[in-house]
Amino acid sequence: MEPIHDVLIVGGGPAGYTAALYAARAGLDAALLEKLSAGGQMALTTKIENWPGFPDGIDGFDLGERMQRGAERAGAKTVLAEALSANLWGEIKTVETSAGRFRARTVIWATGAEPRRLGLPGETELTGRGVHYCAACDGMAYRGKTVAVVGGGNSAAADALQLSRVCKRVVLVHRRDTLRAEKAYHEQLMQAGNIEFCWNSVPTALLRVGGLRGLRLRDVQTGRERDLACDGVFISVGRAPATGLVREQLALDEAGSILAGESTKTNLPGVFAAGDVRAKALRQIVTAASDGAVAAHEAAAYLAGGG
Amino acid sequence: MEMLQMDGERFSREVLAAGKPALVEFWAPWCVYCRRIGPAVGQLAARYAGRLTVGQVNIDGEPALAERYGIEVVPTLLFFRDGQPADRAVAPASLAEIEDFVTAHWKG
Repeated sequence: MEPIHDVLIVGGGPAGYTAALYAARAGLDAALLEKLSAGGQMALTTKIENWPGFPDGIDGFDLGERMQRGAERAGAKTVLAEALSANLWGEIKTVETSAGRFRARTVIWATGAEPRRLGLPGETELTGRGVHYCAACDGMAYRGKTVAVVGGGNSAAADALQLSRVCKRVVLVHRRDTLRAEKAYHEQLMQAGNIEFCWNSVPTALLRVGGLRGLRLRDVQTGRERDLACDGVFISVGRAPATGLVREQLALDEAGSILAGESTKTNLPGVFAAGDVRAKALRQIVTAASDGAVAAHEAAAYLAGGG
Repeated sequence: MEMLQMDGERFSREVLAAGKPALVEFWAPWCVYCRRIGPAVGQLAARYAGRLTVGQVNIDGEPALAERYGIEVVPTLLFFRDGQPADRAVAPASLAEIEDFVTAHWKG
């Protein structure tokens, strides 16, 4: 039979590793499941400038590894394994993974969020080959080419700027007539010189001849459609909480985020939600880390019989 | 663990001419996602040590190799059997996905 951990943490981003650090320092036996490597979403950002204490910024991947080392030094264990299913009812909770079954008295769900998809035919098939969700990861494949960026928030603006340094031409496609992105981005986008805007437009089809050749756009005001020729599409239309495995067990809001207040307590005893996966007003590395600390504290209280 | 970096000559010797299968990660120094799969590829290299050659090719340093195998996106993993590319995995999302990729070709 597998050992029963005090705390099983699912997800190795800032919420998960802060929970692991606090749980281990509280003397609990803490195991953390991570499917790939430490850091989560922040590991794809090369310069993080809003994590306090680093006035010159810090590389996100590096910060993730530091968080992992800190938690492991305190006694927490990392297992590189992907959660496949979970049973969070009952006193002993089980999580089935690609590396076998894990059991624990408490579970901290810290799986974060993943890019939202457009839901167009062919999108999955073309992912990584024409359709992308991470400009920082895949942008260099489009050196000297034309790409479209879909979205109007901060991450779409940041993606467009990043791509403009590499690509010949960047077309920002947005369903409204102004960006939601912070004002600081507007001027930079205008000054880039090779960024164009397609306002009031939504993509309706991925055009392909073998690989991706363009994007069909519908004008939301006139209903008229037109085709935009491009070599790649970067989709940046927000993030969805990664709650697929727990949606039958944990109470979620309409966006799919786990309903848990500042205490991080979910509807199930001994189960806590930390970081971007939790319904909250501000999704940042600091608020994720904060959730992790609170969740570990609440898990300890629950194990002591007071939670 | 430190990954084996391959230039064209080393690639010919350890992947094309060697008797055992090989897993080659095509990567680039500017590719931030490549770093994320590093620990998983390293873990597999340790697990299959002696039976599977695991190495990396920097596409900026070895553009000819990247072109020969049609590498358009990094990271791309190529599995070689008898010096021939058997299959590829583009930007795998988890250690489990890389494990499945290797085991699928290990047996078949």
